[in-house]
Amino acid sequence: MMHTRRSTTLRVLALAGMAGAAALLSNILASPARRLAWAGSGAPLPSGAPQTETRVPPGPPPQPPPLQPPKEAPPHRPALHSVPRAATPPPPAPPKAQEATAFSPIREISGQEAWAAFQSGVSFLDARRSSEFAEGHIAGAWCAPIWESDVDDRLISFKAARRPGSEDPIVIYCSGGDCRDSHLLASKLLNEGYFNLLIYRDGFPDWAAQGHPVEKGQP
Amino acid sequence: MRPRLRHHFLHPKLTLVARIALGLVFIAAALPKIADPPDFAKAIWAYELFPAWSLHPLALVLPWLELLCGLALCLGIWIRAAAAWVAVMLLSFGLALSINLARHHPVDCGCFGAAAPKTEAQRLADMRWVLLRDVGLLLLAAQVLLASASANSPRLDPTAENKKS
Repeated sequence: MMHTRRSTTLRVLALAGMAGAAALLSNILASPARRLAWAGSGAPLPSGAPQTETRVPPGPPPQPPPLQPPKEAPPHRPALHSVPRAATPPPPAPPKAQEATAFSPIREISGQEAWAAFQSGVSFLDARRSSEFAEGHIAGAWCAPIWESDVDDRLISFKAARRPGSEDPIVIYCSGGDCRDSHLLASKLLNEGYFNLLIYRDGFPDWAAQGHPVEKGQP
Repeated sequence: MRPRLRHHFLHPKLTLVARIALGLVFIAAALPKIADPPDFAKAIWAYELFPAWSLHPLALVLPWLELLCGLALCLGIWIRAAAAWVAVMLLSFGLALSINLARHHPVDCGCFGAAAPKTEAQRLADMRWVLLRDVGLLLLAAQVLLASASANSPRLDPTAENKKS
């Protein structure tokens, strides 16, 4: 009985070991689109909600996105010659806090805003799988599949070709709906120092439905 | 378990059907995941239960473990070890689904590779069915495990009892 239990335990371990070895080998032999990095996952930590509208980037305060016309007048500053009275209570804190959180480095945009960005020559990044990109993508978009192992290489070639500044707008899209690949790619780019990331909320299906320019083919 | 019930539950023919059915299900589940590990990593990520560092190793190793266990069960090799892994995997899958059902977080099962886009209500309904299916498969795994245990047990081996007396 003891012998049987020991041999079963050894076989359980052997099965796990063989699975690990087979996974290692198959991952080496797989194409870049089907390969995964064992460590250093490109996917950020799971989170309950997409990180939009809330985060304030570290470092220098970025300029507001150029695509969105300012909806409110700039905060009124008191004239230099006005002398504050001693009895005047200190200005309330909320306006300052509001100013700090009003700008978000990751912002969702509509189809109309995406089209305006396209017409003004803004770079587009496609966060979907490379196979989906090959089936059809926004004309001129760069393939940056967040779940594939070569996403970093693709982003390097994108940066080398387009040389986007940290405050230049970049439109990121995936399949719309509950697709969160574009949010993941935006989080990755935010960590790399890009502060004007525009997520095309409805993604490629909406773009194609609107009849906007589409291309096909391998990235 | 009563002897009569035990006799029916652990019947060799039932064990054969159970382990081959279980093996085929696990082989069918493993192949699409082996073909596309990034898709499976994305499915695991959607569960929001695992830390980022564990996503890729899980997505790479788990499908191969499913395939090896499925093959072992179908071929009748290392049945007990394979059934033990299958039971552990089914319990883990069931637990992951239950946690997400309990917190009303709809996820695609990811059991047999990528699925077509669904609404939240469809996903939640599917999760309940998948949970039910996991319970059924777990019963099959329990049958295989108990049958292999009784086959190895000297108390139930009539020849061993004869030798003692």
